[in-house]
Amino acid sequence: MGPLAANEIISQDTNLIFAFLIGIGFGFVLEGAGFSSSRKLAGVFYGYDTVVLKVFFTAGITAMIGLLFFSLFGWIDLSLIYINPTFLYSAIAGGVIMGAGFILGGFCPGTSFCAASIGKIDALVFIGGLLIGILIFGEGYALWEGFYNAKFLGIPKISESLGLKDGLMALIIVLVAFAMFWVGEWAEKKFPREEY
Amino acid sequence: MTTTKLKSKTYMNPYLAGVLLGLVLLTANFISGRGLGASGAVKSVIVTAVDAVAPGHAENAPFYVEYLEAHPKPMKSWLVFEMLGVLVGGFLSGALAGRLKFKVEHSPKITSRRRLIFALAGGILFGFGSQLGRGCTSGSALSGMAVLSLGGIITMAAIFGTGYALAYFVRKNWI
Amino acid sequence: MNSRILLAGFLIPMAMIIAAVPSNKTKQYKLTANQLLQEAVSYEPYIHPDNVADMLVQQDPSLQLIDVRTPDEFDKFSLPGAINIPLSELLADQYVDLLDQGVKMNVFYSNGTLKSNEAWMITRQLGYSNNYVLQGGLNYWAETIINPVPPASTSPDEEIAKYNFRKGASMALGGDVDTKSAETAVPAVPVITAKQAKKRVAGGC
Repeated sequence: MGPLAANEIISQDTNLIFAFLIGIGFGFVLEGAGFSSSRKLAGVFYGYDTVVLKVFFTAGITAMIGLLFFSLFGWIDLSLIYINPTFLYSAIAGGVIMGAGFILGGFCPGTSFCAASIGKIDALVFIGGLLIGILIFGEGYALWEGFYNAKFLGIPKISESLGLKDGLMALIIVLVAFAMFWVGEWAEKKFPREEY
Repeated sequence: MTTTKLKSKTYMNPYLAGVLLGLVLLTANFISGRGLGASGAVKSVIVTAVDAVAPGHAENAPFYVEYLEAHPKPMKSWLVFEMLGVLVGGFLSGALAGRLKFKVEHSPKITSRRRLIFALAGGILFGFGSQLGRGCTSGSALSGMAVLSLGGIITMAAIFGTGYALAYFVRKNWI
Repeated sequence: MNSRILLAGFLIPMAMIIAAVPSNKTKQYKLTANQLLQEAVSYEPYIHPDNVADMLVQQDPSLQLIDVRTPDEFDKFSLPGAINIPLSELLADQYVDLLDQGVKMNVFYSNGTLKSNEAWMITRQLGYSNNYVLQGGLNYWAETIINPVPPASTSPDEEIAKYNFRKGASMALGGDVDTKSAETAVPAVPVITAKQAKKRVAGGC
């Protein structure tokens, strides 16, 4: 049955309409959870507000468990789902640069759009920065093309690389996530901020 | 203390929000066979703009050529429509909760100007990093975790690890 | 605080279930057992030897005979233009394009119809169309085409016409083909345009 678009149950244009609807859900939840506030987002790095950690990992494990159950019931063919390819060096370097961008700018791309939609000017400036950053990457592509494509590992799943079953890997991630939630709530008590 | 309480009440419970976001992500995978994303839409805008302003340049630079080959109409892509939805969804939620307001949010210890400079710098870094890492927090880290992607989890660890490593040096901006 | 425990109480058991059950490795078959039964009952996969012989004589390029017996048997005797896909190899990757396509008419045959029926069932369950079974298998082929029984002279005209056709076909196809006849009545195998396989969704952030 699923994924509907890959199995040609819905057309490519219908798929775009669903993209819009899914985007509405995405934006609504992000804003509702407080991801439109950069100080709330940055709070995760200081312990005063770990909403990012909670929402992010809850979403990740919910979808992960959901996908595994869908696959178990034969509702979705996981081999047709997009999994991002792993290029080891650029995945790490990109993550490090994004981490720096996150702590300086206070947003990530998705949350900046969400914040911009309710009138946050800093988010608009952040989006301007995104445009410049991507333009720089595109213009200087020849300089880092080699690095960008280095150490290609295929499209491995973490469960495959560790030699575990998908389900067991999922259980481990879920347990790690709840351990982090516990630490997060402890940190919120330890480093409270009254007003931000 | 009362203000904190009021504030946190207006936002959704984070775990509820997480479950809802997870369901959105699950729906995206079930319907479209892919996760959520954000920076890809910005990339579409850039490629379209470069192609419109300097078509000759877009035909020569491999970055744009590769992208245009794979996406003949960059603006008619899944991520662009999804991000338009994000703008609508965020606006709706903000309107319902009464949070629509033009403002620059920053710590009382810094000026708006400083906040905006940092936002721009952060945006540039994030834009660059998202291209190098083949996806941002939503596309690579969040969606990658849901499908147990090794690359996604590595990128996620790198993002949060660097965030914590650098947090001390810019603490004035936030707390 | 409470919501975290609530969530943990739900997600951790779910994760334990998913960790405990074996993951679903089965390919997504397009037909359920029930649907397959319906197909088998209502749908006629059999092609009569007369029709196959006619297509062979006409050198119809849309016919693809597939011998599902073992390579040994195939070497000893096979129908003109047939290719050999032993039943045990049916699901090998290299044959997917051949079996799952919308251009040619694949006709499975074996000595009887047991193996060819099985091949048809399996491909049908995978959702492949355009696959058929030679009615009666090679045994019936031998009776009807290679050694047709002359009808009694009192038979109706159409019986006699059928006999004449079979006789002619038998000769055109090399009579009792012990060795693969050098005759070029074998239709050239046209290039099969494989249906575009479903692809992973292209994505990325």
